[in-house]
Amino acid sequence: MEVSVIGNPQARICRAELAYRELGFRFGSDVISGESRNRVSFCNQSSKWKEIAIRCSSRSVKCEAIVSGAASPFLKSTPKSKSLESVKLFVGLPLDTVSDCNNVNHLKAITAGLKALKLLGVEGIELPIFWGVVEKEAAGKYEWSGYLAVAEIVKKVGLKLHASLSFHGSKQTEIGLPDWVAKIGDAEPGIYFTDRYGQQYKDCLSFAVDDVPVLDGKTPMEVYRGFCESFKSAFADYMGNTITGITLGLGPDGELKYPSHQHNAKLSGAGEFQCYDKHMLSALKGYAESTGNPLWGLGGPHDAPAYDQQPNSSSFFSDGGSWESQYGDFFLSWYSSLLTSHADRVLSVASSAFSGIGVPLCGKLPLLHQWHKLRSHPSELTAGFYSSNGQDRYEAIAEIFAKNSCRMIIPGMDLSDEHQSPESLSSPESLLGHIKTSCKKQGVVVSGQNSSTPVPGGFERIVENLKDENVGIDLFTYQRMGALFFSPEHFHAFTVFVRNLSQFELSSDDQASEAEVEAETASIGSGTGAPSLQTA
Amino acid sequence: MSTVPIESLLHHSHLRQNSKIYRGTRSFFIPCSLNLPSHFTSTKLLHSIRTSVGASSKHRRSVAVRASSSDTAVVETAQSDDVIFKENFPVQRIEKAEGKIYVRLKQVKENNWELSVGCSIPGKWILHWGVSYVGDTGSEWDQPPEDMRPPGSIAIKDYAIETPLKKLSEGDSFFEVAINLNLDSSVAALNFVLKDEETGAWYQHKGRDFKVPLVDDVPDNGNLIGAKKGFGAIGQLANIPLEQDKSSGEVQKKSESSSDSTKERKGLQEFYEEMPISKRVADDNSVSVTARKCSETSKNIVSIETDLPGDVTVHWGVCKNGSKKWEIPSEPYPEDTSLFKNKALRTRLQRKDDGSGSFGLFSLDGKLEGLCFVLKLNENTWLNYRGEDFYVPFLTSSSSVVETEATEAAQVSKHSKKTDKEVSASGFTDEIITEIRNLANDIHSHKNQKTNVKEVHENILQEIEKLAAEAYSIFRSTTPSFSEESILEAEAEKPDIKISSGTGSGFEILCQGFNWESNKSGRWYLELQEKADELASLGFTVLWLPPPTESVSPEGYMPKDLYNLNSRYGTIDELKDTVKKFHKVGIKVLGDAVLNHRCAHFKNQNGVWNLFGGRLNWDDRAIVADDPHFQGRGNKSSGDNFHAAPNIDHSQDFVRKDIKEWLCWMMEEVGYDGWRLDFVRGFWGGYVKDYMDASKPYFAVGEYWDSLSYTYGEMDYNQDAHRQRIVDWINATSGATGAFDVTTKGILHTALQKCEYWRLSDPKGKPPGVVGWWPSRAVTFIENHDTGSTQGHWRFPEGKEMQGYAYILTHPGTPAVFFDHIFSDYHPEIAALLSLRNRQKLHCRSEVNIDKCERDVYAAIIDDKVAMKIGPGHYEPPNGSKNWSVAVEGRDYKVWETS
Repeated sequence: MEVSVIGNPQARICRAELAYRELGFRFGSDVISGESRNRVSFCNQSSKWKEIAIRCSSRSVKCEAIVSGAASPFLKSTPKSKSLESVKLFVGLPLDTVSDCNNVNHLKAITAGLKALKLLGVEGIELPIFWGVVEKEAAGKYEWSGYLAVAEIVKKVGLKLHASLSFHGSKQTEIGLPDWVAKIGDAEPGIYFTDRYGQQYKDCLSFAVDDVPVLDGKTPMEVYRGFCESFKSAFADYMGNTITGITLGLGPDGELKYPSHQHNAKLSGAGEFQCYDKHMLSALKGYAESTGNPLWGLGGPHDAPAYDQQPNSSSFFSDGGSWESQYGDFFLSWYSSLLTSHADRVLSVASSAFSGIGVPLCGKLPLLHQWHKLRSHPSELTAGFYSSNGQDRYEAIAEIFAKNSCRMIIPGMDLSDEHQSPESLSSPESLLGHIKTSCKKQGVVVSGQNSSTPVPGGFERIVENLKDENVGIDLFTYQRMGALFFSPEHFHAFTVFVRNLSQFELSSDDQASEAEVEAETASIGSGTGAPSLQTA
Repeated sequence: MSTVPIESLLHHSHLRQNSKIYRGTRSFFIPCSLNLPSHFTSTKLLHSIRTSVGASSKHRRSVAVRASSSDTAVVETAQSDDVIFKENFPVQRIEKAEGKIYVRLKQVKENNWELSVGCSIPGKWILHWGVSYVGDTGSEWDQPPEDMRPPGSIAIKDYAIETPLKKLSEGDSFFEVAINLNLDSSVAALNFVLKDEETGAWYQHKGRDFKVPLVDDVPDNGNLIGAKKGFGAIGQLANIPLEQDKSSGEVQKKSESSSDSTKERKGLQEFYEEMPISKRVADDNSVSVTARKCSETSKNIVSIETDLPGDVTVHWGVCKNGSKKWEIPSEPYPEDTSLFKNKALRTRLQRKDDGSGSFGLFSLDGKLEGLCFVLKLNENTWLNYRGEDFYVPFLTSSSSVVETEATEAAQVSKHSKKTDKEVSASGFTDEIITEIRNLANDIHSHKNQKTNVKEVHENILQEIEKLAAEAYSIFRSTTPSFSEESILEAEAEKPDIKISSGTGSGFEILCQGFNWESNKSGRWYLELQEKADELASLGFTVLWLPPPTESVSPEGYMPKDLYNLNSRYGTIDELKDTVKKFHKVGIKVLGDAVLNHRCAHFKNQNGVWNLFGGRLNWDDRAIVADDPHFQGRGNKSSGDNFHAAPNIDHSQDFVRKDIKEWLCWMMEEVGYDGWRLDFVRGFWGGYVKDYMDASKPYFAVGEYWDSLSYTYGEMDYNQDAHRQRIVDWINATSGATGAFDVTTKGILHTALQKCEYWRLSDPKGKPPGVVGWWPSRAVTFIENHDTGSTQGHWRFPEGKEMQGYAYILTHPGTPAVFFDHIFSDYHPEIAALLSLRNRQKLHCRSEVNIDKCERDVYAAIIDDKVAMKIGPGHYEPPNGSKNWSVAVEGRDYKVWETS
């Protein structure tokens, strides 16, 4: 109805506003000024509110902290929760958080979203940082402003930040490699991965050029090092306090793999080998000659299926097929060694660039669960995961991670076998178990991620994975913030998930009353605020 | 301040036509609530009055500004002035008249007694009364015997009599009526309420009818007058001391013969009681503002003229830079001007010579953008325009804005930003301080309580929901790849027809099965049953029944004992039968659940009505703490307060547990399929989700009704903020309920009434209401028992109802049709539209493409199979592959379907 009244409703709005300040604006000592949300006419509160703002200690806004401080007997009765409690939860920011012209996209939404997540008890945020945005125009010319702005927001909200340095492009957000790199690529397409049809994958440089000075006389590794060092100095103020993790992009989509699924229209096939660029072919030739089989170095396997073909539609991946032959072992060993050495190069560059800042480094593996039930594991082979003589194909990788003291991020923790289509012979659960075991053997710490699109039963599966005593996962990054993430259906499910993680039922009254929480949750900042208002 | 403002009630949908009279005492004051329905018939007249907090005056210090004649602005009145703004703002001033009501019982002869009721306030008073006979139970009234009715009485329905109060003689200060009581009859008690015909307000006694007992065993529900029990507050007012009747215990309860009844009445005593009463009289006045641009001096001359009586002070500031922040202009000022806290100016208007009001002239720099003001009548009475400051814009073109910025900035730079911004807040400062103090106190006092944790968590949860909703709405609109509906709806739609409490099957059509008068017959359930077959054949799938519980007001929206389902609409058995009957014809039934407030049964030791009885015998812990009138000891309200009854504190576990149990009981016992939730603004949507999870309704819809936004009396084109609030609420319930699409109704009002059909498309080419953002949760309607019926708080433009139905019955969302419209001349047209909707299987997520949206015509194509237009303009659906044929046609609307 159209009648509104000056007196009471405004008072109510004041109250709402106060509540907002109370909960959203002060965490520990961080003061968040925030943009003005007023619908009331008194706009300039920043000065007065400061004095009367109510501080919530981080204890009061972090659900898990309340539990840990409060109901330890309760926790003992459920031993499973012990490991869950120590899991730190991160949420990924949208891929297009910073646009390629260095603007922060949907800033307001992100700010509100971050506050919501902070209140929910989320530990931190993952921020994808694109090479193509920061070093867009020219080699060595870095523009960090957009990402710095995001880091500042994250810091103010009181969340941790996990930076993902992405040396790949993303079709989804239309952020490619830097313009100057793309220009070089136009003239010299050999720097890109190429399949047997001669098609280039332009969102990532070929592993074969890692140490070839193809970028204006510099090798990609040198360029990556420069990027890392620039990042380190630009974000020096945040290192160790806000930034608590750095992920290095190891290949397409940031994952350590060949872009074997260039045309992932249906993902029905196992993907194709990507060894047909100039540098790959010459490396293959050299390797073949050195091993005494020069004829094997003329190209990739001739009997591998095409992108859209079933793996066993041709002879390479079938039982007793080429992959098990001597040639197969020759080719696959070489193909996977390039992947392993690429991981080693990038991680060594990063660990030397970031040495001494005390922020752990991470690298991400793919979870190539399709066709996992075939003996040949074709999806993994085309992506570069192979080990001769039936040895563990992930152990060599884990060893590299261990050597560089890197954590390994494994995605797909939300996937369960029962929801996979039976025709794909897929088994995310067993593959995940396999990789985790390899990591455990090598002493590599594992962090988890979900697959990027929500799947049925995903949250339950994640919780199960995190509960796994065998490999203690202490960090999980949920992908990814956006409209879908905050849609009522999804966000509600996410809230429940977070509560389950911390084993804290916010809605359960029994626990709340049982919990003997120290009453330091709220204290008034200053008593002088109100009187000073009167005279104002 | 000894009175409690009623304003907060005025924007409330449940403003019923009943009011209460409370016994005021010196120690506390209960609001005397009455509404003034007659003033709400036209939205044009709406506006509000602000009452500032009484204590505020102490802190206000005005600084006088030198106002010698030399400094005084000289007002130029050049002939060549261009009028740049002229507006006549209607304002309503509400005056409070205080007086008293008396009730006197006296013995004329042995068995002849006389009851007189009088009122000292002028008005057209009507005594609305009935009697209870010996042996009657319950609160129903009966008509009195003929010989008791004074001349001039009119019978209303079959249970009440209306008798006007008259001045006995000219010099008399009281309006009176006297009723002769013959005690030989078997009348056990006399029930009445007072009605003021002028305002339509009803005056009750403690929220109930006045009841004068004539026998001893009349059940005391706390509303007896002159009874021997429960004098409490009456005692100090009654002039005649009454003695306790020792014999009351001996009185035989069972007796039918007249001799016995005489015996029973031996305890009857004369009495005289007075009760204070206050009545608010609204005076319509106007403020006319004319702004001229003086070409010679390039000044803006504003003249403010009003017919408000008494001293009128204009509290004003000027605006620049496109914002409506108040700033102080440079001198000179008009006469009689003082500076108020460096933030605003106060100018007292000059009285007109003929005493018919006041006027004032303001000469202002030509570069300013506008003048903001509010009117101050006295310390406690402020007038503004529909909740906003009056605003007089000067600039007509934006070209001069830049220039203004530059020059003005320098001029006003000495006023720091801080104070400038606080200007408009000055009136609220005290309230803010109070709020802050309350908050601070709350937190302090909770510091050592265990409940603290829970409360903090709930606050946090609320905050999280709010923030997530905010993030969602922005992401949704800024993510280019995200088509608004697709993802959200696709998820919900995975199974083809998925029943969810927010949408039902998605193909629901709602019928509101009652109006404001339905309680009058006392047998509404039975009457409705007879219509079941017809409603089913019309194509309705869901019926919304009136609130079923015992209620202090006959319409049911002031529930008391939630487990007593005997109401003015019928008995619980009749209700059950009705539900069964409708189930038989395939219609689901919604119960009207009033969860925000509940009327108390008993008073606490302070005499405040805040203790409940019945099966849910809650105490004051179940009442929110921030409504001072009911002295609740619960937590602060998680929403807005409804001031006429104690607001239930849903944050209390026992309350929620009881409510869930009650909802489940209603499902089980009555057979309801879902809920219509009353006044859900009053508490957090998350609790609603909780209730829905517990009761698992087939369909549920909440009433979240607040004001649309207006600028200078014009409805704003963009009502996104309004629909956002509704969407936020739905969001807070996690989509477990739909909500009435008040936004769409409001926009239709203006579009149809003023022939502004262009309003019916938002900038993105979607419907501008909730239905454009979240169609599956929008319950579209054009009228209900509050907005229309005999209340008419916000009536749909008359004669244009069918255009409204042509819109909502073809568009996505779940349409709701009002009972009065179905059984009116519109019947055949509504039937045709309903049949079309069902025939073409339009549903709550149907896709709407707006084809034409101009001044005088709006046209849209829905799901590629139905085309519609409303408005006088011309439209034909595009000739293409489709073969359109006219399905329904009427005044200013036309609907086609593909054949």
